[in-house]
Amino acid sequence: MADSNNQLRVRLVTPERVLFESTASAVELPGRTGHMEVLYGHAPLLTELGAGDVRLHGAPEGDAIYNVSWGFAEVLPERVTILANDALKPAEIDVKRANEQLDRGHKLWNEAGDSEAAYDNALEVIAEAEAKLATATEKH
Amino acid sequence: MANVLDLRRRIRSVKNTRQITKAMKMVSAAKLRRAQERMVSARPYAQMIASVLDSLTRRIDIFDEETGSLAHPLFAVREEKRVLLVVISGDKGFAGAFNSNILKTASNFLEGAEAGREIDIEAVGRKARDLLRRRYPVAEYSEATEEKRSTRQSRKGRVEMTGDHPGMLLKLESDRVLELAKSIIDRYVHEEIDAAYIVFNEFKSVIQQRVIVEKILPLIKIGDQQVTDSAEPTAEERARAGQAAATSGVPLTEADTHEAEEEDKKFGTANVDYIYEQPPAELFEALLPRYIAARLFHAMTESVAAEHAARMTAMDSATNNASDMIDSLTLHMNRVRQAAITKEIIEIVSGAAAL
Repeated sequence: MADSNNQLRVRLVTPERVLFESTASAVELPGRTGHMEVLYGHAPLLTELGAGDVRLHGAPEGDAIYNVSWGFAEVLPERVTILANDALKPAEIDVKRANEQLDRGHKLWNEAGDSEAAYDNALEVIAEAEAKLATATEKH
Repeated sequence: MANVLDLRRRIRSVKNTRQITKAMKMVSAAKLRRAQERMVSARPYAQMIASVLDSLTRRIDIFDEETGSLAHPLFAVREEKRVLLVVISGDKGFAGAFNSNILKTASNFLEGAEAGREIDIEAVGRKARDLLRRRYPVAEYSEATEEKRSTRQSRKGRVEMTGDHPGMLLKLESDRVLELAKSIIDRYVHEEIDAAYIVFNEFKSVIQQRVIVEKILPLIKIGDQQVTDSAEPTAEERARAGQAAATSGVPLTEADTHEAEEEDKKFGTANVDYIYEQPPAELFEALLPRYIAARLFHAMTESVAAEHAARMTAMDSATNNASDMIDSLTLHMNRVRQAAITKEIIEIVSGAAAL
């Protein structure tokens, strides 16, 4: 099975631009309901993404990591397309801003009161900030 | 008659102006190219969102069993009693009729529309905000409490400003646009508004653009543009724009992205049974705000490109006018100088003759 042709075509698209377009042998996706890894020949799948890392393995230009927050991914047997709201390379993450975001998230959480929507919102902010920090600190 | 010195001073001043307008034209041309690139690179995302949504609408489980229509609040068509208008203008002047065209179309919408319709305005771009603020009162809201969302105080007029976003276009970020989209959706879902429109300058290429009013809510069919009003530029304006583009090296036609677009359209629409990690209805729900945001974002990128194109054209005209003016002033100056010389010679000659 380990044929060199068994390569996934991967596209990472953000609202602003196409960030990445290449091939890879495996892709890790931060699904909203859980982390998953996609290999060549995966069954067709549509999923919402949470905040976390997209990792590409076996890409011609080496492994790559992108921190994405919220989006969607379509998986086809030979192709993966990721629509991310925002995607950053680990080097692009501003730790200071991420920390601020985390604080803001906690503040939102404390102020959320009984509103479920406010809690969800706060959780999203916190998850996003934590994912960014995790990606950023991993590299050092 | 002005003397030679005055004329020379004038010519120098016009020359300076020409240099400035020329520089502004080149800057606008460079910015236009960048804006066009951004426009093109933002397209795949918008296209993919539309495709996957469209494919999702064909799944049965998000339809209302009784009515057979889409069971989603954003597809609910209501009588338009209160509508929202998003006006996207430029941030700066010196762009010819760009801002005034948009504001004219917006005014037509505000004043000409079926009377009795209450209209809220969200202004994106400083020019629209400045003008509309002067004309219409700002809406007031009561403080939001924990269990209650903020409610609107009584209206001060038929048309009110509910928000403005100056500087949003200067640094176009999808996050801020998404926030705006979410706020619009929130208002629609809570029935504060019955429809949402957007006024902006559509930009296909330098010579192919128009100001349009587009309906973004309620959604009728994903991927369809609902244009309710449009104002095309005159042939003369188009010719001017083409000329300006030609002299500043901006391509008149778009790069051919047809093939890539076809590819994007396939996103999420492959004829297979997808495994849905989340229930389709949930995916649908989460995708819709992004779709609206992508529409807004798209409108804004086009508007930014159109603004730069308009400024480039205006500055090209200004440069040409300055050149014409310099020519005529130089001619005038030479005549005056010649006249002075002739006069002096006549004086000398007649003086000599009198001796």
